[in-house]
Amino acid sequence: MNKEERLIKRYKAEKRFQFYGKAAIFMALLFLVVFLTKIFSTGYTAFQKTWLVIPVNYNADLLYLDPDKKPTTEDINDADFYEFGIETFITLDPDASEDQIMELKKMFAFTFERELKYYLLDNPDSFGKTVDVKLTASDDLDQVFKGNYPRDIPENRRRASDYQLKIFDKLNEDGRIISEFNASFFTNADSREAELAGIASSFMGSLFSILVCLSIAFPVALLAAVYLEEFAPKNRFTDFIEVNINNLAAVPSIVFGLLGLGVLLAVFGLPRSTPLVGGITLSLMTLPTIIIAARASLKAVPPSIREAALAMGASKMQTTMHHTVPLALPGTLSGTIIGLAQALGETAPLILIGMVAFVNTIPGTPMDPAASLPVQIYIWAESAERGFVEKVSACIMVLLFFLIFMNLGAQLIRHKFEKKWN
Amino acid sequence: MNKIEAKNVDVYYGAKQALFDINMDIEANKVTALIGPSGCGKSTFLRCLNRMNDVIDICKVSGVVKINDYDINQKDTDVVRLREKVGMIFQKPNPFPKTIYENISYGPEIHGIAQSKSEMDNIVEESLRKAALWEEVKDRIHEPGTGLSGGQQQRLCIARTISIKPEVILMDEPCSALDPIATAQIEELIDELRKEHTIIIVTHSMSQAARVSQNTGFFHLGKLIEVGSTDKIFKNPTQQQTQDYITGRFG
Repeated sequence: MNKEERLIKRYKAEKRFQFYGKAAIFMALLFLVVFLTKIFSTGYTAFQKTWLVIPVNYNADLLYLDPDKKPTTEDINDADFYEFGIETFITLDPDASEDQIMELKKMFAFTFERELKYYLLDNPDSFGKTVDVKLTASDDLDQVFKGNYPRDIPENRRRASDYQLKIFDKLNEDGRIISEFNASFFTNADSREAELAGIASSFMGSLFSILVCLSIAFPVALLAAVYLEEFAPKNRFTDFIEVNINNLAAVPSIVFGLLGLGVLLAVFGLPRSTPLVGGITLSLMTLPTIIIAARASLKAVPPSIREAALAMGASKMQTTMHHTVPLALPGTLSGTIIGLAQALGETAPLILIGMVAFVNTIPGTPMDPAASLPVQIYIWAESAERGFVEKVSACIMVLLFFLIFMNLGAQLIRHKFEKKWN
Repeated sequence: MNKIEAKNVDVYYGAKQALFDINMDIEANKVTALIGPSGCGKSTFLRCLNRMNDVIDICKVSGVVKINDYDINQKDTDVVRLREKVGMIFQKPNPFPKTIYENISYGPEIHGIAQSKSEMDNIVEESLRKAALWEEVKDRIHEPGTGLSGGQQQRLCIARTISIKPEVILMDEPCSALDPIATAQIEELIDELRKEHTIIIVTHSMSQAARVSQNTGFFHLGKLIEVGSTDKIFKNPTQQQTQDYITGRFG
């Protein structure tokens, strides 16, 4: 082989290598696009909510209230809106049979009583008049309206009956079915009814867990890293500790869940299903990640800076606190955010410590029972109702949004606050 | 009068001995140059004088180093106070990644030298003036010190060191990373600083040693071969090795 041929071969090899590299990146992007497309196309409808706008006659007789007197808040609160609701639904089809009346009722979310009551409380002037009121549609009709629900399968295999669909279509023709931004998805806690289920509880649960995790893991990890890197003598024992920290980072998260269950719940008797326990468990998991990031950033601080400070007569502690740690902080913080992002997406350990429980209240403190976003995804993904399918994807979107947001933050800190030294 | 007296100083890096039985006296308010080929132990000796070798885990120092007649190698020597008296300039300029002002105010701050803001301002200005840097940076003392040129950075480091008025300044090849013009500025500065400080400078350049120093010590393979006035070492050395080195036969 002469020199010329050899050169051509080398160039070809390089071209091939570059092609493989590009193909690999393309593959990775393709997976990402397919994944995101699937999530978005399934989930975006969850941000819309279907309402049925029906004429409601706030008739005093139907509510068993005195027609001549304006009802007080107390009167309205005491009134029976269940029977009133049924009477209202009958107006949609005055010829309905007993069974059909029940079907009419099932076209609405079971919160119709509350919705009718709150409308009257908010609009006391409607008393004695017939007004249009917006009521939450049941998840079956919600899915029908969004087109997620096949109408052409036999009736006995469908949750929405032919009768319901007939009424629904009639309302639709009259423009009495509207779709609006689904605020309740963000303000409601979990519910057995898909049309009412929201992420408020799991979001707060995740937030509290992350805060607990951060406030434990960050200081502990920073102190451990600073001591190991700056003060500890380099000997077999510190080597042993270092190896074990790295091992800890590789421990499957479910093991930490078992630890939380066995120690935090069983021995210390902390309240089950709470973000407090979840946060402590997650902090065990995040600890090695932050320690490793902090040590790497401390190592990256040039020794000349330490020598400069020491030669000025700064003590070891002053050198560390005034120079080394501030310079290592950006790297440590971005490592911390990455660790927290991992913790935010963690499911297994939280399931073990009971954060998988059905929680229909919004937690106010880390000591209240709560779910978390990834666990909420798990719970909803297990539910049979079709309405939960879009909720799962929507919840994934919310989680992804926060993960991307946190990773961007980490990136930003790295770029912006990184001190440049020559 | 001898500012520093080193007696029987041995230094080991792990099992390897780096300095062998060094005995050397250093005169006050003079510039003493330490010369010798690479790896001869001159920097190691310099770092014995402010105990910077403590930073290196495997480094063991024995022998007596007296500064102002006080042995600094005792167990209970306070290295913080020692380094307040014995400042050091490094081979590569190493300003803190902070502003010029903060670079200089750091020493006085941790040693509690300045009582007020105006006093601190005075110290900063005085130090920068003494380091012949004031005129160049007076309009931007609140900008990062790392933005200066190499020579300016090294003068900033000198200003930082003299801000706490050390009695002794150690310089470890302070000009090796600088261009000839910056080197000339630093050399001029060294001559100026000699009035108030005792200076010990490690250098690779024999011409630099001849230009700036009054006394010179020649190191070779961890031993102090010869020490004396710079004139004598360069013109009339007693040892053959010194003669060979300064005439450029090896090193």
